Amino acid sequence: MQESLGTTIEMTLGQEFLTWLWYNSEEKNGTYHTIEGQNPYVVYISNRIVVRGGEGDAIETASVSGVNSSLKEAKLGLTIGKLVVSALVHLEKEGLEWKVGIKAEDFALNSFKTPAVSKEDKDDDNPDALFLEKIYFIEQGLDLINDCYQQFLQIRLNNSDWAKEVKKIGEWINL
Amino acid sequence: MGFLNSTTSFTRLNIMEEVPKDLLPQIQELLIKYSFKDIDNVALDRSFGWTSFDDMLDTNWERSICDKADYICFSLRLDTRRVPPAVLKKHTRLALIEEERQLLEQGKKFVSKERRAEIRDKVKLDMMTRFLPIPAEFQVVWSLQRNMIYLASTQQKIVDMFIEKFVETFNLHLEPLSAYPLALQILGEDASKELDEITASNFI
Repeated sequence: MQESLGTTIEMTLGQEFLTWLWYNSEEKNGTYHTIEGQNPYVVYISNRIVVRGGEGDAIETASVSGVNSSLKEAKLGLTIGKLVVSALVHLEKEGLEWKVGIKAEDFALNSFKTPAVSKEDKDDDNPDALFLEKIYFIEQGLDLINDCYQQFLQIRLNNSDWAKEVKKIGEWINL
Repeated sequence: MGFLNSTTSFTRLNIMEEVPKDLLPQIQELLIKYSFKDIDNVALDRSFGWTSFDDMLDTNWERSICDKADYICFSLRLDTRRVPPAVLKKHTRLALIEEERQLLEQGKKFVSKERRAEIRDKVKLDMMTRFLPIPAEFQVVWSLQRNMIYLASTQQKIVDMFIEKFVETFNLHLEPLSAYPLALQILGEDASKELDEITASNFI
């Protein structure tokens, strides 16, 4: 992979994945079923999103945040060609909830919040019990992100499926 | 920054080769070999190395071990000593004034360019011993089952520093899991051709 080409693909994959998540969360209630067909889970974007557009000195960034925000101003940015560069992603499965800020550029995971780890009822003989429960939740959240990303990739790499999806996302943007 | 906090920012790094089985029993020993070296009493501006996950002061793992079930846990400790520029500027100027005074007594007028540089370096060295380094800790969780590292930082500088130290210690190579390598990991190397042909979509 050439570096310049790779950089573009990295960013494109990241931006389109976050845009697709946002579209799904608004148009399809963000509900997914794991690739293995296990229990459904929900992924949605809310509260915080950053969109960016333009080139060189004319780059413009719009950051929209707020509890219960409909992110309308950010969506307005999409109508003029801005793209999602980072978003706060919520994941829910079987009554458990995760929140994580994902950046399109490098997929760095910011402020990753897992379900609460219960400090009571921990096995006193195992000083690592808290850590092991926490890392279990972290990896469960990562598995959901990976599963969701895999579903995106399956559509993204199928030209006719993606063309249909792009059309639907375009309609959603211009609603 | 740590994994036990209510929120954690971290980077996933893929270990690019299979971990040799004979490396596993040596991990603790290698962590100690490449452990953090304190610079509180040494005039250095930076030091970084491994320390205990449970106690960043325990650089010899005397009070804990790195194994936690299927995970190897340790921390990258980075101490940085910073002399505030205004302090450095003030004391360099004072030293130059003193130098000029001494030169005048010898009937000379100017401090040479080389001597100015020497004075600047000497003042910096002197100041470095008077400012304590600022410690920072970045926890590391190595999942043996997933052949994956979680580093509690998303700063590029720290990620690069971590990769450098990790390669030096274990001779294993790492790749941050951004969108492209994550796609390859999920879909397999065969997907690289399709991924390389991706161009940005126009949604509007």
